[in-house]
Amino acid sequence: MGKHTLRVSELVICLSLFEIGSTTLFFMGSEAKQDAWLAMLIGALAGLILLILHLSIYRQEPNLDLFQLFRRYTGKYMGSLLNFMFVGYFAYETSRNVRDLGEVTLLTLLTRTPLWIVSLIAILVVANTVRYGYKVFFLICVILFPGMVVGYAIISILFPATGLLHLEFFLPILENGWMPVFKAAIPEIVSFPFGQVVLFLVFYPHARRAKNLPKAVITVYLLTALALTFLNQLIVLVMGHKLASFSTLPLLQSVQLIRLTEVFERTDALFILLFFLGLGIKMAAFFTGAVIGLERITGVSFKTWVFPMGAVIYGVSFLSPNYTHHIIVGRDITLNTSSPFFQIVLPLVLFIIMKIKRAPDNTA
Amino acid sequence: MLGQWFKKVFSQQKQQSQDIEKSKKEQNAQSINPSLPHTLLLLKDQFGQSPDFTVRTLSGQPADPSGLAVCYFEGLIDQKLLTSLFEGLIHGGSDNTQSKTNPNQIASRLLESLPSGHIQIIRTEDQLLTEILSGSAVIIMNNCPFSLAVMISGGARRSVEEPSSQTVVRGPKEGFTEDVTTNIALVRRKIRSPKLKFETHNIGQLTHTTVVIAYIQDVANPDVVQELTQRLQSIDTDSILESGYIEEFIQDSPLSPFPMMIDTERPDTVAGGLLDGQVAVLVDGTPFALIAPVTFFNFFQTPEDYYQRYDISTFLRCLRLVAFLVSLLLPSLYIALTTFQQEMIPTTLLISLTAQREGTPFPALVETLLMEITFEVIREAGIRMPRVIGPAISIVGALVIGQAAVEAGLVSGAIVIVVSFTAISNFVIPYFSMSSAIRLLRFALMFLAGFLGIFGILAGLIPLLAHLLSLKSFGVDYLMPYGPFFKSNMKDLVIRAPWWAMKTRPNVKSGGNRIRQAPHQYPKGTSNRLDNMKEPEQ
Repeated sequence: MGKHTLRVSELVICLSLFEIGSTTLFFMGSEAKQDAWLAMLIGALAGLILLILHLSIYRQEPNLDLFQLFRRYTGKYMGSLLNFMFVGYFAYETSRNVRDLGEVTLLTLLTRTPLWIVSLIAILVVANTVRYGYKVFFLICVILFPGMVVGYAIISILFPATGLLHLEFFLPILENGWMPVFKAAIPEIVSFPFGQVVLFLVFYPHARRAKNLPKAVITVYLLTALALTFLNQLIVLVMGHKLASFSTLPLLQSVQLIRLTEVFERTDALFILLFFLGLGIKMAAFFTGAVIGLERITGVSFKTWVFPMGAVIYGVSFLSPNYTHHIIVGRDITLNTSSPFFQIVLPLVLFIIMKIKRAPDNTA
Repeated sequence: MLGQWFKKVFSQQKQQSQDIEKSKKEQNAQSINPSLPHTLLLLKDQFGQSPDFTVRTLSGQPADPSGLAVCYFEGLIDQKLLTSLFEGLIHGGSDNTQSKTNPNQIASRLLESLPSGHIQIIRTEDQLLTEILSGSAVIIMNNCPFSLAVMISGGARRSVEEPSSQTVVRGPKEGFTEDVTTNIALVRRKIRSPKLKFETHNIGQLTHTTVVIAYIQDVANPDVVQELTQRLQSIDTDSILESGYIEEFIQDSPLSPFPMMIDTERPDTVAGGLLDGQVAVLVDGTPFALIAPVTFFNFFQTPEDYYQRYDISTFLRCLRLVAFLVSLLLPSLYIALTTFQQEMIPTTLLISLTAQREGTPFPALVETLLMEITFEVIREAGIRMPRVIGPAISIVGALVIGQAAVEAGLVSGAIVIVVSFTAISNFVIPYFSMSSAIRLLRFALMFLAGFLGIFGILAGLIPLLAHLLSLKSFGVDYLMPYGPFFKSNMKDLVIRAPWWAMKTRPNVKSGGNRIRQAPHQYPKGTSNRLDNMKEPEQ
């Protein structure tokens, strides 16, 4: 793969869309009730610390991606093992998104189509995108970006315009003090969506040399976090936190309430497309990360890995017997166990090893 | 996988082509026999008893030491030029009896005295045949190891007319013809610069077609020119009849449905392309020239955009892109909405649609396919049928198939509107190759929509987007100014900026010299001379 072919703008646009990804499907921070926005902000700030950790790893070794770093700093065997675990983590995240997309489709657009067909088509489309290489994937993000921004902007404008917002749902602020807010934010919101930027350690080295890369990444990260907080709080303001926490697809349900003249009545089908694009981008990003990892471990070109990897992801997406189980595994179990391990522990360990190993170099 | 299979099939043919080349090399390079009767026999033998092959012997018998013969094909030469050639030959030949025996002197005198600008000395038999076949009159002298080829090609040709497939309201009305020299002249008349270069290639072992690469030095990217030349030279075939042959041999991504080169019969399009740093390929025998490298958006621009006001051009370009989307998506959206997402249709419209579809026997997908295929048949018939039957087709198409099909309860009325609007939108796209590509893709999307609704359409569009992004035409990304994004190209894309605001050429990647004109040319006048004009006295 060619080096330094990504522009910083392409990288940050992709990072932004990746963060939005499937986040808007869910109501984040439901434990914090009407203070979900505070939980989101706290989660985002904690995620920012993680992001800075990732960026400082990148700064020390700007030419090596995540897999090469582990290989170099933890030795051949340990490094390969950890890399395999990362590939597994990325692949599992992809498969979760495949299942999400399939279930959302069944709930909304194609109520009578079997899940395996929808998932199969989703994974085929994504695998096809990955097959072209990361460059094409990033360009797709650039092209879809205006559409996504306009789509979410329209949602944000239509809610107040049609009088659906109930600002009183904000109140009372901090009803039970800070504790529930922190509990909601850490580690759930940090792990999903903010901590997932660990994936971008694979992509930073492909960006063109630019001094403003960390700055651009952090700025875009903050803007995206604010936008996500805003969208998340819109759900609370439209539905109230009680309804929102029971709803399967709260934002979509809110959008269904929008009625504008006679023409724009059930526009939710159009907004589902926004979710699909977000999910697809997230899937493709994780999928790309996984196959690049396999390329680094085995030395075989990533194109060969796309098909077997796709098959594995497709299979894993059926692990949960039903959507509720899938959600519980995703939102309760993995967010508290595996995600912090890959997003926080391993990068932190890597950073410390790098500091130790590089220290003699600096003094010499 | 498909690509690999194609490669396998084609590599088998490579062996054969190498054999052809070997036998070709053995054939030629035999020099002309000095004996005139021998050469004439050879020519008669080669051309058989072709009625248009003419040999005219001057100065007595061919076996005479001063024997001289002129050979040509009747239809390939210009009669007037031939007459003046004979006048020159007779005057020059009977001038001096002393030097008659020395063929070299005769030849040098002829070279001086013949009334033609294009005389060539040829030494091999192969060259002799080629020259006669390409419309030269060849003067063969006895006891002389070489012959003279005088280029007097002419004969029946179409004159320069208005292009029939790419018309404009405002702008030059001349189009290319089948004759490549005329076409070169048409381009050169627009760009009178020594930097405009034409490079000739001869392709096709049987057809010997003249293929010309045109570019402007310093403006075109030399790498593109070199690559194009190389690809042209590597073509090994026996026949080139149209520029479409060349296009398929040299284009990037041959399995893509999208055209990778623009074909045009307008000299002003070619000139505009050359000035943008593109390279053109002119092929003898067809009025269609090729332009490369191109981007996707080039197919939605017409030369007229630059002759009209910029605001109306911008509007028209937006309109064309909308028409592109309609032409690609409208039938599949109709299928998806009526089959799966009825709730998105406003209630009153939905009621009327359902009422219409009540009596129709087929599902929306079958109905739409039926009408789309019917339309494609009518469209193809419109091109192929004899012109005299034209009105009959329009009556059959419009009345019988449109109205009667609805009244007979075969299809619903809405579908006729959808299909006809799609068809009309397809005609808005200026280049036929692009609109054909969309026609094909439309059917694929219709099937996806029929089985999976909006989800299917999205599942079709994303791979399409990925495919478009992966395409490159001679090193230039197909979706260039959008993906990857180039801000400076945006001035001539969907928006056509006024001329005084376009300082640089649009294609970042195709050109070397990017500055087109001086900056700050906003037309504000030079002085207030005109303000002081006197009011006319009553």
